[in-house]
Amino acid sequence: MKKILTAAALIAGFSTVTQAQSADLNSLLNKVREGRVAESSEHKQREAEFAQRRAEQQQMLDAERRTQAQLEAESARLEEQRRANETEITAQVQIRRDRLGQLQELFGVLQQAAGDAKSVIQTSHVSVDHADRLTGIQTLVDKASDTAELPSLDEIRAWPTQMMLEAIESGKVVTFDKEVRGVDGNTSTIKLTRIGDFGLVGEGKFYTLKNDGAVEELQRQPAGRFMSTVDSFQSATSGLAAIGVDPSRGQILNLEVEKPTLMERVDQGGVVGYVTLSLGAVGVFLAVVQFLYLFAVKAKVSAQMKSSTPNTNNPLGRVLAVYANNKNVDVETLELKLDEAILKETPALERFLTIIKLISAVAPLFGLLGTVTGMIATFQAITLFGTGDPTMMASGISQALVTTVEGLVVAIPTLLLHAFVAGASKSVIHVLEEQSAGIIAVHAEKEHGHAA
Amino acid sequence: MLLNQAFGAIAQFMERGGDVLYMILAVTFIMWVLIIERMWYFTLEFKKQKQRVVDAWEQRHERKSWYAHKIRTAMISEINNNLTSGVSMIKTLVAVCPLVGLLGTVTGMIEVFDVMASQGSSNARAMAAGVSKATIPTMAGMVAALSGVFLSTYIERRAARESERLEDSLTMDH
Repeated sequence: MKKILTAAALIAGFSTVTQAQSADLNSLLNKVREGRVAESSEHKQREAEFAQRRAEQQQMLDAERRTQAQLEAESARLEEQRRANETEITAQVQIRRDRLGQLQELFGVLQQAAGDAKSVIQTSHVSVDHADRLTGIQTLVDKASDTAELPSLDEIRAWPTQMMLEAIESGKVVTFDKEVRGVDGNTSTIKLTRIGDFGLVGEGKFYTLKNDGAVEELQRQPAGRFMSTVDSFQSATSGLAAIGVDPSRGQILNLEVEKPTLMERVDQGGVVGYVTLSLGAVGVFLAVVQFLYLFAVKAKVSAQMKSSTPNTNNPLGRVLAVYANNKNVDVETLELKLDEAILKETPALERFLTIIKLISAVAPLFGLLGTVTGMIATFQAITLFGTGDPTMMASGISQALVTTVEGLVVAIPTLLLHAFVAGASKSVIHVLEEQSAGIIAVHAEKEHGHAA
Repeated sequence: MLLNQAFGAIAQFMERGGDVLYMILAVTFIMWVLIIERMWYFTLEFKKQKQRVVDAWEQRHERKSWYAHKIRTAMISEINNNLTSGVSMIKTLVAVCPLVGLLGTVTGMIEVFDVMASQGSSNARAMAAGVSKATIPTMAGMVAALSGVFLSTYIERRAARESERLEDSLTMDH
């Protein structure tokens, strides 16, 4: 390459350089000739090299073609083998089926029974303190549903074993430590007692078994009379101890959670309900106050009836005092003065009676008002959402019913209390109105009788 | 054996009717205790008291003065108080019985609607418990009220009649 460049430079220089340099040109020509010779020999060498390489490649190609042919032959052989194997397998399965005969059905039954047992064990309280019960049954279920493999005798035995365990443990009361989930979602380990397959109790509370096998505290515990039995039941070591048992294995207790509490019930009554209940509270309070007052008055009056000197701490005493202060007036004036004194005493004795009676009469009316407003709410819900969803109507209906209950709950005790208080007040007023004059007359006769 | 069966039937009835039945039972029990007490008083106690009052009146040396008049009123009033004590309570209890029955009806209906809210309206069997709690107390309240209503009227009228007779027997004209 350098030579060519030199030549080109020389040729370029030729036009500018003078003729005097011709001697150099000859040497240059020679040089170029020599260069050509050298180049041609180089080319020949290259050609030879290429030809050799080509031959080599051809050889390799031939070799690879032979390998391909070999492998194709192998593939065909294996395909043949596979086909043969498949036929063999079909034949063997047929043989197996023939040999299995009636056992085939038996395994079907086993599969079903194992599936049932699995669901029983999953939901059973016994699994709480017997962990890993499910693995044996799960293996059996898997194998029984898989046609390729037969469960072994040991694996089949897992099923009756677990069912026996279930039956035996259902009749036992067992206490053990167990991690439980509280209402707040935190887990803690407590002493848990399992009552057969019916329920779980611990630390004075009832627990429920969740589908995932976790033990959870009931969101809302049952009535106190059941709760109070838990501790004594847990601490009992022998003999009989009472405990509330849910025979539906948790369903009834879970319904209990949905049941509203008393306060929630009261809240369903709404404003009308609260007004009714406050009226009732006022009525009961007034009745109790007045009853206690009358009770005290009655005791003093009966003490007064036994004594001859008038004591001004009670109504009868005050009426009798009128006579003691007016011993010398004539009977008509005395009677007028007595009437006046009695009239002065009655308001205190009849105090609150009208309002209690009024409350007992108005409470059912308030209940009715709540019923009607509740029904209006219900019908509004029906207008908006239709009758398809009963939960939409539920709040109106519960308001209607709860207010009625509240009306009655207020009316019944106030009615009874009114009867009590009115009776007490009437008996004192009777004494004042009809017997005070008689008592005065007896006293007067004693004084004048001896004198007369 | 028969007694056991009877107790069983009663227990079953009480269970179906719910807790309100116990309230009705209590109200009815008190009502009947008061009624029987009145009957006892009318037939036995009252006659003795009446005799004592009549004797006391007859032994008076004069029966025409203002004093005598007032003493007579006091005597009658005392007996009258004895005669009518508890009568208003019986009447109130008679009036309360249907109210308690109604309370049972409404609480039963609440139970029905609770079931309806949680199980839908298709489960008639689940609602049956609430329906029986709604109907049985109503009936029981009515029966209890009816059992007392005739006797309470009778007692009231008898008290008024005895009081009048007493008044008649305390004569002022001799």
